[in-house]
Amino acid sequence: MVELERRGVPTVLFTAQTFVHDAHRSAASFGLAGLPLAVVPLPFTNQKPEDVQRMAERAFEQVVAGLTKPVDARPVAPPPPLEDRFAYDGSDLLDAWSHMHADFLRRGWSDGFPLVPATPRAVEAMLRGTPRSPGDVVATLEPGFGIATVEKLAINAVMAGCGPEHLPLLMTAVRCLAEPKMYIRNKAMSTGPHAPLVLVNGPKGRVANVNAGMCALGPGAPSASNTVLGRALRLVMMNVGHTYVGVSDMDTIGSPLKYACCCAENEAESPWEPYHVTRGFAKDASTVTVHFVYGMCELHDFRSTTPEDLVAVFATAATNVAQVGTGLWLIGRRADPRTKTEEREHNTLFICPEHAQIFAKAGWGRREIQEALYRAARLPFKTMMLNKEPKAMAAAHPELAWLADHPDLPLPVVEDPGCFDLAVVGAAAGRGAYFYGAGEPVTLAVED
Amino acid sequence: MARLEVLNPVAQTVQHSVKPAPRLTTFQGATLGLYWNMKAGGDAALDRTEALLHEKFPGMKFRRYIGSVGWLMRHCTAEDADRIASEVDAVVGTTAD
Repeated sequence: MVELERRGVPTVLFTAQTFVHDAHRSAASFGLAGLPLAVVPLPFTNQKPEDVQRMAERAFEQVVAGLTKPVDARPVAPPPPLEDRFAYDGSDLLDAWSHMHADFLRRGWSDGFPLVPATPRAVEAMLRGTPRSPGDVVATLEPGFGIATVEKLAINAVMAGCGPEHLPLLMTAVRCLAEPKMYIRNKAMSTGPHAPLVLVNGPKGRVANVNAGMCALGPGAPSASNTVLGRALRLVMMNVGHTYVGVSDMDTIGSPLKYACCCAENEAESPWEPYHVTRGFAKDASTVTVHFVYGMCELHDFRSTTPEDLVAVFATAATNVAQVGTGLWLIGRRADPRTKTEEREHNTLFICPEHAQIFAKAGWGRREIQEALYRAARLPFKTMMLNKEPKAMAAAHPELAWLADHPDLPLPVVEDPGCFDLAVVGAAAGRGAYFYGAGEPVTLAVED
Repeated sequence: MARLEVLNPVAQTVQHSVKPAPRLTTFQGATLGLYWNMKAGGDAALDRTEALLHEKFPGMKFRRYIGSVGWLMRHCTAEDADRIASEVDAVVGTTAD
């Protein structure tokens, strides 16, 4: 709509009451505060056509006004605070810290957990983790077009509990978020529970003590680095990318994965080349991969001893039509209209070392598993379309109209075997994890 | 008494600025674009809006649009926006929730 206004075309946008603030903030971030809205009480989704039409009728005068009355382009929110620092007084430092924490919560700058105070000294120490200058710009981060300087990343890293050894990994993860292919605007502002799954490969992950083994994605001392690094990325999305709940993050239910979801690949116990090698990097390179995921499902199997049986079990997780990405290829591809970068819907599998050995002993590599999963994870066309808009399929794939006459035809849940990304993670016992992905992962090398 | 000083974690933002388009002075003879991003239900709202406008301003013309890229939500590219801008006088959209 803003792009049409820019071209001299007056617009008005239907928006549900709950999303009014989000719509105004989004339009303002693109440069047009006060984009005219026709506000309706409920989202149109999950409504009967007659109920949608009734809401449109009641908003009709707003439609007319939006196209004819002058636009009130006053700012919708105050600009980010310009102060370099904030001071908090208390009876002692703990009391002062509690005031800081309360103030940060009030301002929306916290993930809810207690924050480590980013004192000038702590930030200075954090900055020793990189040779780059504090004012260097690492990226511009949407949806708020926040300027991610090294210093702002360091401040948020301190607040999350990171050490200097984590800063290069965080900076790389932030660059991943800012890649055009990531189309983070779509993921950060969604009603879906998009969580950045961070996978670290290579020696710099080991230096930073990123856990690849037991309970790599869970709590506990072995995963302390995983926790603070994942947490730092979320705080950066908030305070640098301006992804704030109820302002731009409109997540319906949320997900615990959004607090922190980070680990390393267990390269030592993997029978295959490391994951980042499959992404085109040298084996001794250090990389960070970020893949936004909606959720995860355990891949439990203590019984199978053959690749075929394991794949049959894994495929049951992949055939979950309630997940957005399942069969999404039928209605198009996630795409950023500005850059026209398109994403196929990927899913990430963490395979435990024991399961990986079953595959490897039978001579299977990643490609064999991907192809077998592609063959096994299929659903009837009519099941795949249960939660999809038929008109969207007609727009994306008019050549597949014939499928309407074959409702029971099994179709693959992803468009290509390569849409299953496989990494070896975890410790002993036959339990893996299937992550329902949102678009494609992005992998970048950690800078020196 | 103790004082705790912490650094500001919030990033400054790149500012964009777009001037709102001049509004319509009349609907008579106007061509209206009805833009749907294919999110469920939006088409029904546009159907009703078109019917109401047609009733009130019989001379109006209407054109339907969807974006040329995307999936659950189809988006407008710059070329789509150029085309729409060249074909209509105003747009009513349903683009999200």
